Amino acid sequence: MSELKFIEGYPEYMYKLIEIVHETRSARLKEKPRFMTLEEREEVLKIHPDYAPGGKREIRIGPNKGDVAPNEVVDLLEAYPLINPNEIDLNNVDYEPDILIIGGGLAGTTAALWANDNGIPAENILLVTKLRHGDSNSVMAQGGTQAADRPDDSPIIHFIDTMGGGHFANKPDVVRALVEDAPSIIKWLVELGAMFDRDENGYFLELSGGGASRRRMHAAGDYTGLEEMRVVRDEFRNRGIPCLEFNPAIELLTDNDGKVVGAVLWNMETREYKIVKAKATILATGGFGRLHIRGFPTTNHYGATCDGVVLAYRAGAKLRDMDTVQYHPTGAAYPQQIIGLLLTEKLRTAGAQVVNVDGEAFVNPLEPRDVEASAIIRECYIRNKGITTPTGIRGVWLDIPMIDLVRGEGSIKKLFPGMVRMYNRFGINITKNPVLVFPTLHYQNGGVETDPYGQTNVKGLFVAGEVSGGVHGKNRLMGNSTLDCLVFGRRAGITAANYVKSGVKIGKLTLNHVEKYVKELENTGIKTSRRSPILLPDYRGKAVLARMIDVF
Amino acid sequence: MEKTLEEKTSERFLDIMERIKESNKSVTTGIDEKEIKHWVTIYIMGKAYKVPADLTLMQAMEFAGYRFIRGAGCRAGFCGACATIYRKKGEYKLRTALACQTRVEDGMYLVQIPFAPAEKPVYNLDKEGGGLDVVFKHFPEVARCVSCNTCTKACPQTLEVMDCIQAILRGDFKFAAENSFDCIQCGLCSIRCPAEIIHYHLFQMVRRIHGKFGVPPEPNLEKRIKEIEEGKFNEEFEKLLKLSPEELKEIYRKREIKLD
Amino acid sequence: MKIPYYPGCTLKTSAKNLEVSALESAKVLGVELVELPRWNCCGAVFSMATDDLIHQLAPIRNLIRVQEMNEKGIVENENRVVVLCSMCFNTLKRSNMFVKEDKERLEKINNFLSDTEEPYQGNIEVIHFLELLKNDIGFDRVAEKVKKPLKNLKIAPYYGCLLLRPEEIAIDNPQSPKVLENLLEALGATVVDTQFKTRCCGSYQTVNRKELVAELAYDILNQVKISGADCVVTSCPLCMFNLDTRQEEVKKAHPEFKTIPVFYFTQLMALAFDLGESFYRFDLNYVNPKPLLSEKIF
Repeated sequence: MSELKFIEGYPEYMYKLIEIVHETRSARLKEKPRFMTLEEREEVLKIHPDYAPGGKREIRIGPNKGDVAPNEVVDLLEAYPLINPNEIDLNNVDYEPDILIIGGGLAGTTAALWANDNGIPAENILLVTKLRHGDSNSVMAQGGTQAADRPDDSPIIHFIDTMGGGHFANKPDVVRALVEDAPSIIKWLVELGAMFDRDENGYFLELSGGGASRRRMHAAGDYTGLEEMRVVRDEFRNRGIPCLEFNPAIELLTDNDGKVVGAVLWNMETREYKIVKAKATILATGGFGRLHIRGFPTTNHYGATCDGVVLAYRAGAKLRDMDTVQYHPTGAAYPQQIIGLLLTEKLRTAGAQVVNVDGEAFVNPLEPRDVEASAIIRECYIRNKGITTPTGIRGVWLDIPMIDLVRGEGSIKKLFPGMVRMYNRFGINITKNPVLVFPTLHYQNGGVETDPYGQTNVKGLFVAGEVSGGVHGKNRLMGNSTLDCLVFGRRAGITAANYVKSGVKIGKLTLNHVEKYVKELENTGIKTSRRSPILLPDYRGKAVLARMIDVF
Repeated sequence: MEKTLEEKTSERFLDIMERIKESNKSVTTGIDEKEIKHWVTIYIMGKAYKVPADLTLMQAMEFAGYRFIRGAGCRAGFCGACATIYRKKGEYKLRTALACQTRVEDGMYLVQIPFAPAEKPVYNLDKEGGGLDVVFKHFPEVARCVSCNTCTKACPQTLEVMDCIQAILRGDFKFAAENSFDCIQCGLCSIRCPAEIIHYHLFQMVRRIHGKFGVPPEPNLEKRIKEIEEGKFNEEFEKLLKLSPEELKEIYRKREIKLD
Repeated sequence: MKIPYYPGCTLKTSAKNLEVSALESAKVLGVELVELPRWNCCGAVFSMATDDLIHQLAPIRNLIRVQEMNEKGIVENENRVVVLCSMCFNTLKRSNMFVKEDKERLEKINNFLSDTEEPYQGNIEVIHFLELLKNDIGFDRVAEKVKKPLKNLKIAPYYGCLLLRPEEIAIDNPQSPKVLENLLEALGATVVDTQFKTRCCGSYQTVNRKELVAELAYDILNQVKISGADCVVTSCPLCMFNLDTRQEEVKKAHPEFKTIPVFYFTQLMALAFDLGESFYRFDLNYVNPKPLLSEKIF
């Protein structure tokens, strides 16, 4: 780095290329790239990491045997448990709540509040989470939450948009629940005190999102998920609902009927296990970005390691749509310190264009995410019109300064304080200069199959949020993820509460399903040292790992 | 045998995927020191470590061999889990940072503060309302502010923390809510405050009060909720749920896009 | 005339009646009191310890804000700041003196503030609104603007401590002040002198020992009644609270006690200028003054 000359946060050679972006901006303002035809979309999608060869394989065991999923996911499904069921003492129960919620993001926390509202006393709920309560993908959601509340919009249109975005693979009844609950869940948040962006007359300031045919994004600057999470968490804490941090579930418990009846937790700091016996278990563990599927960087938080899917699968839960992965088109590609971090789609809805090395806007900025991402990969690696960073990463420009030209001076600062701040930390002023972007691993489209009430095919096991599958089909739309957490957090909380109130008889606690799964692994001839869930990624230096001695 | 066009394309795409994987490996796997040209020395809790010069504090600690349980969360500047304090070589100033959002500099002395000890007061806004008296009841220490501005200097989000505290003292919740909005609740202000104010919990309460009592109900939202409750869309949904994906696709194709 | 104005927290919360009546009355007199765009608590109480510099940060920071108003051209060459609240006035003025009289203290404070503030030059002057009325505007001009003279009203001025003590910061003769009297006369009222007009109201004792403060208020208000006055006038939000709101406790301790209205001087000025209800905000006074006013004025 020392021999590179830097201008406003960029090495000199990149800064020279930025001049081209400046020069072409006014022309690009007038001529916007058209949308692709369905045929053109099909063509460009061939380079999408989901469809490019070599990324996926068949799952050989379990309820989804024969289905295809990314190698990194299959690796975890075809892996041995962290515990030996024979060594776990299930007779000493440490916690005995009515409802166990695994996962401390927006979905899990929302579920806790609604279970409490529906007759489960706070002390009979237990929320456990791997990191701190709220350290989740939820807080990183920037763009907004969809809810069709404007007069020219309707839940019907939201439904159609969501189905189309998901390539019509979504479960329609689940999507209906998503869109019909959306306005009332926004109201719930407002009544809890969440501050959404409003205009001077008190109306929500709503922008559109890729794949949405109306403006229905409810945002709070570019801290939307953070605002939703912290308000809901604050209320959770006011209610006195018990929460265990740094205590991930490492296995579910089943009884002799095969119902899910709690979990084995692992206290990451003391390294002891704890037994939770619960009448109902809600899984809200989020997604899998930290698996770095196909070697992509990710927008996801530190703990996004697919744990919930692994646990549920062993307990017999069916998965769906695990074959598709959402790559966000615009992850940071420069500087090195923030590679893969999210640049919200809202930047493009607000007017920023995606531009190649010659200053051409080569793709309409509002194509669905998979199409947009593929177009960027094609531009960089097939048409060779990307920009290469000093560390060898290719990307294209996201022309953020255009937003101020379209929406008026100061709009970038007002709409995207978080982005302005992040780039400022590395010496780049995004109100003046474009930033370099490349697709980044963003979202687990599929997951544990849910019905409209957050129920899975396994009795006693409920799901909400990113861990679930069915609502987004093969591709999630912007603004539907926080909505998913909220709507199905509420639904799973209520359904679980009703399930508990209907009278649940728990038989003997067992890990029979794990034993059975291990046998199936062995019988299928899967010999591996892999163990799952992995809980956290490992980024320690190679030299350190090579000389590591595990003493304590 | 000559490869078909399809096979060639397939090979080419596979190669592209491999190249992308290779270019990103410094952030997706542990770093191999053989590939590093530029180094700096940092002091993690006093111990010197040589680390690559273009890493964040968090990445550098990982490179040095630390595997985080605490002290890492979103890794993108939103969660506040990686609050860090540090001094630079030859400087008396105690600086603050988010480990995931700050590049290493040669000669940094650093330690993480992964948890700010503080109890969150419990309140019920529906019962207690949102007056200044309610805020004072739960956060009496706010009156101890001496306007030293240390909180502001400690904020890794560069918020005007003291101005927000002062606004609360005079009941200006709107100012405090709007200007504390980007708070990620890392707690660094509260660790540094000589008046021992718990800013991040206090701001949370004030924002909720402002969001709940300080803005009018949204007319469009109220109207749409009523329509849904009255079953306005039921009939159409029943029809849509019976359609095949092909039929839905047709509707999707023809849908009107209104984004202005 | 535009002049920087420091409100203080109380004027934005419990003493809104003091602020609205003052600002509007000032307008009538051709003065625009321009609120500091950014300000913090005055410090609430002047710290007497000479080495306790941290408690000087709040007041000095406010004086820097006045400096900034000049630098930014919000006011032109106006190195004075007008204060309405007696407590804020007392704290700001004493802190100002404290750093002006010892350059070393000023330097230490400036050094501490230097990360975020320009240094305080030491040439801001803190004045009370009454001083502005007396010295810049003049009571003659006040009298000219009176539309509704308060002629049937017998008023006892009450100064309390903060405008007059310590002597170095006093806005008037600490033993026999006249400024409120002169103002009230200009408004056409009858001034009634009372023995206890500079006595302490009990100040912050009101927080923990409200019975004690109720007794003090009882003594002061009885003196007012004996002197034949209909009501009391004060300039200080804390005196107002102790003499007005604490009458509730006085009644409990002395069932025979009859309440007596207490006004801010600015409320009476606004009333005499006939500015309208929204600028009097009598609804914020604990003892409802309307019966008295309708009897004597309207």
